[in-house]
Formats: sequence, structure tokens, C-alpha cells
Amino acid sequence: MKRALRSTAVAAAAVFLAGCASVGIDEALKDTNTHAQRFTGGNLALSRTPEQRDRRAELAQQLLATPLSQDDAVQLALTNSPAVQALMAQSWVDIAAANQTSRLPNPIFTFERMRLNSELELGRLLSFGLVDLILLPQRLSISRSQAHQAKLQLTGAVVDHVTQVRQAWVRAVAAQQSLHYAEQVNTSAQASAELARRMQRIGNFSKLQRARQQVFYADATTQLASARHATTAAREELIRALGLDDAQAAKLALPARLPDLPKIPREAKEVAATATEQRLDVQLARAQLDLAGQSQGISLLSTFIDVEAGARRDTVFDNAEGSKSNRRGFELDIRLPLFDGGSAQRDALNAQSLAAANRYDATVRGASSQLREGYSAYRTAYDIAKHYRDEIVPLRQAMADENVLRYNGMLIGVFELLAEARDQIAAVTNAINAQQQFWQADAALAASVMGKPTATGAAMASSGSEGASTGAAH
Amino acid sequence: MTNRRNFLSGAGALTGAVAAAAVSKVAMAALPEPVLQTKPDTMAPLVPPSGRPYNPVVTLNGWTLPWRMNNGVKEFHLVAEPVVREMAPGFKANLWGYNGQSPGPTIEVVEGDRVRIFVTNKLPEHTSVHWHGQRLPSGMDGVAGLTQPAIRPGKTFVYEFVARRPGTFMYHPHADEMTQMAMGMMGFWVTHPKAEHPLIEKVDRDFVFLLNAYDVEPGSATPKIMTMADFNIWSWNSRIFPGIDSLNVRLNDKVRIRIGNLTMTNHPIHLHGHEFLVTGTDGGPTPKSSRHYEVTTDVAVGQMRQIDFLADEEGDWAFHCHKSHHTMNAMGHDVPTMIGLDHKDVARQISSLVPDYMVMGERGMADMAEMEMPVPDNTARMMTGEGPFGSVEMGGMFSVVKVRRDQKAGDYANPGWFKHPPGTVAYEFDGAIPEPARGRHSGAAAMPAQNMPAKNIEVQIRKPVADHGKH
Ligand SMILES: [Cu+2]
Repeated sequence: MKRALRSTAVAAAAVFLAGCASVGIDEALKDTNTHAQRFTGGNLALSRTPEQRDRRAELAQQLLATPLSQDDAVQLALTNSPAVQALMAQSWVDIAAANQTSRLPNPIFTFERMRLNSELELGRLLSFGLVDLILLPQRLSISRSQAHQAKLQLTGAVVDHVTQVRQAWVRAVAAQQSLHYAEQVNTSAQASAELARRMQRIGNFSKLQRARQQVFYADATTQLASARHATTAAREELIRALGLDDAQAAKLALPARLPDLPKIPREAKEVAATATEQRLDVQLARAQLDLAGQSQGISLLSTFIDVEAGARRDTVFDNAEGSKSNRRGFELDIRLPLFDGGSAQRDALNAQSLAAANRYDATVRGASSQLREGYSAYRTAYDIAKHYRDEIVPLRQAMADENVLRYNGMLIGVFELLAEARDQIAAVTNAINAQQQFWQADAALAASVMGKPTATGAAMASSGSEGASTGAAH
Repeated sequence: MTNRRNFLSGAGALTGAVAAAAVSKVAMAALPEPVLQTKPDTMAPLVPPSGRPYNPVVTLNGWTLPWRMNNGVKEFHLVAEPVVREMAPGFKANLWGYNGQSPGPTIEVVEGDRVRIFVTNKLPEHTSVHWHGQRLPSGMDGVAGLTQPAIRPGKTFVYEFVARRPGTFMYHPHADEMTQMAMGMMGFWVTHPKAEHPLIEKVDRDFVFLLNAYDVEPGSATPKIMTMADFNIWSWNSRIFPGIDSLNVRLNDKVRIRIGNLTMTNHPIHLHGHEFLVTGTDGGPTPKSSRHYEVTTDVAVGQMRQIDFLADEEGDWAFHCHKSHHTMNAMGHDVPTMIGLDHKDVARQISSLVPDYMVMGERGMADMAEMEMPVPDNTARMMTGEGPFGSVEMGGMFSVVKVRRDQKAGDYANPGWFKHPPGTVAYEFDGAIPEPARGRHSGAAAMPAQNMPAKNIEVQIRKPVADHGKH
């Protein structure tokens, strides 16, 4: 029996080691870095030591030294953001919990000490669940499924966060750019107001005529204040997404302009070619479905037959006789399925499997639809932004040029010229908004292709025509 | 002098209109060949090659329509068609006219002539011709719907009547009249007396032109036909200064100028350096007892005025409408007055938004003529024209009567700028200028004022700014 016990212990140790080696956080990060290369650039890393943390801070410092591009912003978030570190740490927790499943329950050692008159009996029982041992391969596979799921969840969370960073970056740059134009509108309105003031002073304008010009300025001033706040808000949103501390936030500089539109938009075919099976949400649903299937057998079996086996060695000391004797044997505990035949459990498990199966179907079906919607949002945003760039802004520019000629010919006056300049600026602001919406839709589509659709993408394109109608009224 | 063109090939190609093909060759065979004009220049007078003799007129920036005699009848051929009229160098308008130009050619006949006029319609819509001021059979009066059916596109109508009374007339459509006149359909008509007339003196030079107005959006070429009051192109024979030719005469010539008004407002036409008599109206020669010397005569809407004067003062004499807006080309009527405004500092701010911005109007509008900055395509500058002493700063209904000692009789060529005898040109005074005494009381009034502003408002006198500098 000694040998049997030893061999069991070795087997258990082997299983323990195997479980430990099968999935760890490092492997999960490596997987995420590979799987979501577009998003992480392979740079997702959990810092656990002070040295690692220092290295992170140093990298953040480097990235903050120059105006932050969109890709740099992503790298900065991955490197610097405590929220991202928290995501990884949480994933570590989940993976560790999954690993737990794959391990055998520790054997139970029971020790008894009983005295009867002159007799002292010491009972020792080493027992373990027999079913657990039998089901070990299944438990291992479940553990892998759970770890896989945890990895997918980590990838998903990273994709989400990166998308947020990208969109926040786009909003912050666009807001800053629009602010510049709001300032120009304000300058124009200010010039009109000042000219009108002087016109009234020298008797060329009535109070009413002056007030008309003054009111543009008053409006433009409120719009400028809102634009200033909008810029601050967008910047702070980005700072939060990047997880910057106050010192880092002070250093954050953004480029003056959004990137140009790509020469050609992504093809619908290319986007649709993303095999549905590769999408994160589908994979996650698949993993849940697998897990439900595997769990079904194992949980049912363990409820139904719970067999514990143990080896017993009792020692009896007889003080009266001064003798000592040993007893050996084994024990089997078997749960009798009298009151719970497992039917309720079976129902629950069946229901769980059914739900998982349907969830999987729903996810698969939804996935391609979401992709189509995301593409439409992307494409619409692209077309609108391009239309602004190629049609509306040049038309406004041509109108502005013509207006200067008309001013030269004294066909219009300086106030009309300034009002037209404000209109032109408003068109540029709308063009910036359109460009912003394109880049947000682009980030949303990238997430959607990965299978982590964000609501922002669809919402953005529909508001494409709306923009800061800065002081266009006159 | 004139370009004779084959109607069937030339005219059709010229206008590209529908009509050439629509008018049948058989019908055309009986018609006098139409003569087209391609240039807006003032053509030399057409000395009558046939028919009764007369002293021909000169049409300012226009020409006289040649005719053919057919069994004692003078036959003319007018072709109503779209034309491109150069209104001033660099500014062309899409108009409707006759025989290649707007206005159409002047028709000259002699009292008692039997006249047959073929009118071919190459416009996209129907038309008719009304012979403004003529005595004629009612059915020849040219009022579409009232006295005749309209002339459909592609059709030719014939008008025939005797030019019964001598005088100054015009012709214009009386079908969709508003559109067609706004597009420039009109022409001059002169009936010369057949013998000496007690009220019509012989003259050495006889100029004719019509007053017309258009509303052409700066940068465009086609007039807006719905405009009633806010015209921006005030023209003589569809020409504007500096595109209007000068009236060149010899010293001591007896000069006659006949003016017809087809605009929607009156024009006080004013001549410098001479006095004239109004010797004729639409109704014919004026009685001598009604004539008195004037330097300005108002030509009301739809009227003709014939003025005679002796050109006995040498020099370059301005001749223009005295409504000062009518001696301007296209301008903005809502442009605020900037006189007295100092805004050089604000201008810097404006330039940051409108890079080509220039300060104008602080001193007055003359900046406009001086600065010569680019204006929209196909737009005549508001005021322009370079004279021997600088910019004339005019536009619209402005020209010059040039009286020269050495101008040959019958020579209408432009003699160039006048050479003033020494000491006869205004000059700069270079002595000291004493400060004038100014009265300060408000003056008497017929009635005591009531409800006057509480405060006495100080009105600033704007003196010219010395250092306007460059901008
Ligand atoms: Cu006038």
C-alpha cells in the first residue's frame, strides 16, 4: 500500500506541474500581442518589478517628448496606463483561477485519537476523491478552455481600450484644430465689431448698424468659450485613456492636424474577408460553448457518483497489556443518489449548454451584420470627409477668392467680406469634423474587424453633416 | 466697313442658332441679303448709293444698315438674333440684337420713301418689331397680338409703309417686350427731310445713339431681365465708358446729336463748353419759338431728343448723363461709406483672415480707380479711363466731344488728346493759404424748431488725410 500511495502522489505532482506550465499570464500576453498585433504592436507587457516599472516610465517619457501621434498614443497607453496594467493583472487572476480547475483536490488526511479504558487508538486516514482522478483529463481540458477564454477576454479588453485611446486622440486633435478656427472666426467678428464701433463714432453707422456687427462678436465669443472647453474636455479624456499622471499630462503635446485621409478607403471585400471564426466575440462564444459541453459531463458525473477512496492505518496502544498493534485497510465513501438523482442538476446543465449554443449562433450571425454596419459607417465617413475636402472646402475657397475680387471692385463692402470669411471658416470647421468622424469610424472598424465592435462607429457617421456652424448666421 | 456675309452659311455659323436651317432657301431667295456686323466700332456714315440723296448720320459705336432698291422700294433685312456685344474692352455681354450687334443697325430713309423691311427671327422665342414714333398703317405697327401675329422663331415677316414724316425714331420689339428690351433688342431710325425744311437745318455732323441699361451680375455676361430699377450698366448703344467712342468734330461745325431713351429712367444729358438747342423730339422738329439754350436736357423714358449746337470752342469736352450713378460702372449699392474711417490696424487683423485684403474707401471712392486691383472676370471697373492728366474716374454714360481746328470735313477719326494753348490749363497755386473765416450761428428759420435732439450733435469735418501711404 505504501507503494500505491507513493505512485499516486507522483502522478498528482505531475498533473500539478502540467497545469502550471499549460497557461500563464506571460503566454496570454504573448498571445494577445500576436493576435492583436495591429492594436498592441507587440508591446503589451505587465510590469511586476520596480525595474520593469522604471523602464515603463522611461519609455513614457520618450513618447511624451515629441507631439504624440496616434500610434504613439496607443503605445503610451499600453506602456503607461495603470488601467491597462490592471486589465493584465485581472487577466492573471482569471488564468490562475482557471489553472486551479486542472489540479487534483489535495488528499485529505484524517487523524483520530481515541481512548477506551487502557486502550489508546490512533487512526490515520489518507483519502482522496476517486472521481476527480478519473476525470482528470476532462478537468485539464476545461482548465484550458477557461484559460483560453481569459486570454480572449484580455485581448478583447485591450482592443477596447486601444480603440478608446485612438478615438480620444482623434477627438482631442480635432478639437484643438477646431479651436484654432473658432479663434479665427472670433478674430473676424472682432474686426467687424471694431470697424462698426469706429464707423459709428465717425457718424457712418447708426447704433443699429453697429449693434448688428457687435452681435456677431458676442456670439463668436460664446462659441469660442465653448470651443475652448471642448478642447480641454477632449484632451482630458485622452489623458485619462493614456493614464497620465499630472506631470506627464503637462508634457502632453498633440500634432496640429489630424492625419490626411487615406488615398483610398479600405475595401468592403477586404473587411468582409475577415473570417467570422477569427473574430474575438465568436471565439469567446465558441469557448463558452465548449466549456458548457465539457462541464456538463463532469459536473453531472461528480454529482451523481462521488467516490472517495482512502487508505487507513490505525495504531492501538494497550497500556494494560503494554502492547501495540497496527491495523491497515482502506475506505470507500460513496454518495447514494437517493434524494438527488441529479435530474435538477442535469436540467440546469442542459439549459446552460442550450443557452451557450444559441449564444454562439447569435454571435456568429450578429458578427457579419456588425461588420457590414461598421463598414458602412466607415465608408460614409470617408466619403463625407472626402467630399468636404474635394468639393466643399475648395468651393468655399473659390467663393472667398471671388469675394475679394468683388471687394476690390467695390461691389461688396468690408463687412460682407468678413461675413463671407466667417462662412468659409465654418466650412473648414465642418470639414475637420468630418475628418474626425472618419478617423473615429476607422478605429471603430478596426475594432469591429477584430470582433470587438464599439458603438461609437455607427453613431458617428450619422452625425456627419452636423458641425460647428460657427458664426455662419448673418 | 461692313462685313457682308452669305446669310445661309455665315450667319448660321455665326450664331449657331436654330433658325438658319428653319428658314427655307426658297423663301430666302426673294430677300435682300442680310448684312451682319462683327465689330462694335463707330462706322463711317453710309453715303446713300441709291435712292434719294441725304446727309447720313453717324451711329455712335454702331452702323447704318445697307439696303437694296426694288422697283422703287427701299428693302432692308433685319435679323433678330442672339449676339455677343463688347460693351467695353474686356467686358462682353450676351445680348439679343439685330444683324450681329445690339443695338441693331440704324435705318436711314428719306421722307416719302416706300420702305419694305424683312424681319427674320432667329431668337429662341417669337418677336415683332414696333416702329416707334412712325405714322404708318395700324397693321404695320408691330404690336404682337394686337396688330399682327408674333413672328415665330425661324419665320420672316415683311413690314411695308411710307416714311411719312421726317424725324428721329427707333425700333424695338413689342412681343415679350420686357425681356427683349432688357436683352438689348433695339435700333435707331432716322427719316431725313426730302427737301429743305424750315425747321430742320442742315448740319455738318449728325450723331445718333440710344440710351440703354442692363443688369449684369459682375463676373457674368447675361443681363438679368427682371430688374426694374437697380441696373448696374448704364450704356449708350450698349457701350459703357471707356468703351464709348468720342464724338469728333471740326471747329465751327454745326453738330446735331439725336438721343433716344429705352431705359426705365430719365437721363439728364449734359454737354460741357457749349450751349445747345433742343431742335426736335419724337414728335418732330420743335417750333423755333420753343427753343432755348441749354447745357443739359432731360431725355425721359421712351423719348427722343435732337440737340443742335455750334462747335465753336476747341478742346475736349465731357458729354455725359448728369445722374452721377449713371457715369459709373457696376458697383455695390449696399457698400457702407467708409470715408473718414481709420482702420489700418484692424486691416492687419483682417489680412490674417483674408490675405489679399486692401484698405479702400477711407478717403473716398477714387481709391478704386487708382488701385487697379483684380476684379471678377468680365467685369468693367466701377470707375476708370485714363485721360492725359490721370484717371477720369468715370464709367457708364460718359463720352467726350472733341472739337479740333484741324479735323477734316467728313473725318470722324479720333484726333487724340487736345493740346491746350499755354496758360489755359488749371494749375497748382503755390502761395500761402490764409485760414478762411467761418460763420458759426445756426441761421434763421421760417418756424421755431420743435422736438429737436436734446444734445447738439457735433458733426466732424473730414479733411483729407495727408499720409494715406501705400496699401
Ligand atoms: Cu442717366
